[in-house]
Amino acid sequence: MKLLEYEAKKLLAASGISTPKSQLITGPEDDFLSIFPTILKSQVLTGRRNKYGGIQIVKTQAELEQTLPKVFSADIEGYQAVSVLAEELVDIDQEIYLNLTVNRDEQAIVLLAHKDGGVDIESQPVEAFFREVIGVRPIEATALTLAEYLGLEDQEFALGELLQNLLNCMHTNDALLLEINPLVVTADGKLVAADCKMELDNAAAFRHADWDFYDKPMSANFVELHRNGTIATIANGAGLAMATVDAVQAAGYTPANFLDVGGGANKESILASFRKLMNYPRLEAIVINIFAGITRCDEVARAILAARDEISSLPPLHVRLEGTNIDEARSILSKSGLTLHASLENAVGSIGGNNA
Amino acid sequence: MHSNIFTPENIIVQGITGSHGAFHTQAMRAYGTNIVAGTSPNKAGQYIDNVPVYKTIRDIQRDHTVDASVIFVPATHARAALFEAIDAEIPLIICVTEGIPVHDMLAVRAKLTKSNSRLIGPNSPGIATPGQSKLGIIPNQILTPGRIGVVSRSGTLTYEVVAALSRSGLGERYVIGIGGDPIKGLDFVDCLKKFQSDETVDAIVMIGEIGGQSENKAADYISEYATKPVVGYIAGHSAPAGVQLGHAGAILGSEQESAGYKTTKLQRAGVTMCDSVTHITPAVKKIMEDKK
Repeated sequence: MKLLEYEAKKLLAASGISTPKSQLITGPEDDFLSIFPTILKSQVLTGRRNKYGGIQIVKTQAELEQTLPKVFSADIEGYQAVSVLAEELVDIDQEIYLNLTVNRDEQAIVLLAHKDGGVDIESQPVEAFFREVIGVRPIEATALTLAEYLGLEDQEFALGELLQNLLNCMHTNDALLLEINPLVVTADGKLVAADCKMELDNAAAFRHADWDFYDKPMSANFVELHRNGTIATIANGAGLAMATVDAVQAAGYTPANFLDVGGGANKESILASFRKLMNYPRLEAIVINIFAGITRCDEVARAILAARDEISSLPPLHVRLEGTNIDEARSILSKSGLTLHASLENAVGSIGGNNA
Repeated sequence: MHSNIFTPENIIVQGITGSHGAFHTQAMRAYGTNIVAGTSPNKAGQYIDNVPVYKTIRDIQRDHTVDASVIFVPATHARAALFEAIDAEIPLIICVTEGIPVHDMLAVRAKLTKSNSRLIGPNSPGIATPGQSKLGIIPNQILTPGRIGVVSRSGTLTYEVVAALSRSGLGERYVIGIGGDPIKGLDFVDCLKKFQSDETVDAIVMIGEIGGQSENKAADYISEYATKPVVGYIAGHSAPAGVQLGHAGAILGSEQESAGYKTTKLQRAGVTMCDSVTHITPAVKKIMEDKK
């Protein structure tokens, strides 16, 4: 799950990383500020806030009262501010891009850096980045090379300490991604994280009872593809779920979602999935494609019956079930009037046909 | 026979008393897999389907030789279970557990590189040598002995393809699910090497996904070394860019992690690529018939 900027910065501060002095504003009426001039930053789970009026500088209380409602109402690629972070302006000498990500190809954390941080970082050529796999060399050695690349030789020790703190922060918080853009070198030589993106590992929620962020875990297995999609999908396993969406799209339909119910899904969790799908306004059918290994087909069958009982507006179901306990599932569904298709192709092929 | 890493002889189950562990121990034994023992922290002395339960792997090793371990321990305790298996020098470790935190797997990877153990998974459906043994959760009824080597990143897509290969009469020599987690053990290239050098494998099916570069590395290996026919499919053609990928991924070569890029690259390496999972078996069948 992704963190809002202020949530991420709290974790940074707890790991000993400097962030600007700030105050969180929870609503347009909450306009008492002690810091001026201040930069107002819309707290949204998307980038490019600047482009859509999500970032404004105000110098006086009067300016604040005039500008704050605009920052709250700014439409940032379909998102609106959850809250607004008011920060003191930092005295910028240099802006750096720093990114630590768990990288699957290296099977390790990789550090990326660029001497010109800021909003246009994505248009920089790949060769211009500093890149190093973490864990191969001592962090002090990485810091030295990084300082030379950035032209900040006098900051070698500060950079080493910062890198160590960032890695500790990732480790303690089970972060998959930690990006500081920009990392500001202030006029008086301090390193300050002016903006921060952080993504935490949903799988680690079990050991973070204190996690209480705006974004909630569980989102990884459910991805909205098209709000106005006509065909929803339920599958188990990420690969099969992708292949199911691929097949729906290849057949000329607009898939609404990607949904992997996960290994060991049970009646309740699958029923919850059905309820979630009912939010799509143009839904015409649901394709269910389960190839059970650790999941058991009889649980899926019970969930299907429960969904038909509970959800009156449930669209036609096109079901393909196979694998563990398929015979039990067949007998559970024997009186349901549902066709159990033998393959994904048949299930998708039956949409719009008479074979549902 | 003993040198065949994918058909180990004496197998244990870590987490044998849990519901998944117990259920699949029974299924593995029903398939002829030689499960000699299992572990469970608080249930030593009990039996699961006539298999003795011990507290630790070290305890088992006093009574039995262990060639492989299948791990069903819940994600909350999986790191400890993986550490235990590596410390006990188990040659082949298969981790079925899904949802292990990434930072735990980074620690396991670091330990693994200093050991002689080989890991398959996590989040793996396991491996099977149809007609002989099965380690993991691949449904018994879909396996048929044959001469096709199947390697896949996705559990359920593996079943999809294996079931179709079996229905067609082709069957499988080996089925290996390497697991879909970002930080893991064996990768495509390791399995392709095995299939290429194993005379009992006639053709290879590889099933990849969006994200990461392992399919691209596989393409490099295939174009250089593979002489056996390979049929492939990459899941996720309709996936929106960047959803599961981090920001750095979006900067560095996200295009190379897409289904389209991987498909083209594998095609250029000589792989017969399919645009739907259902087209794989017909493609293999055609290749095998043309070979005759």
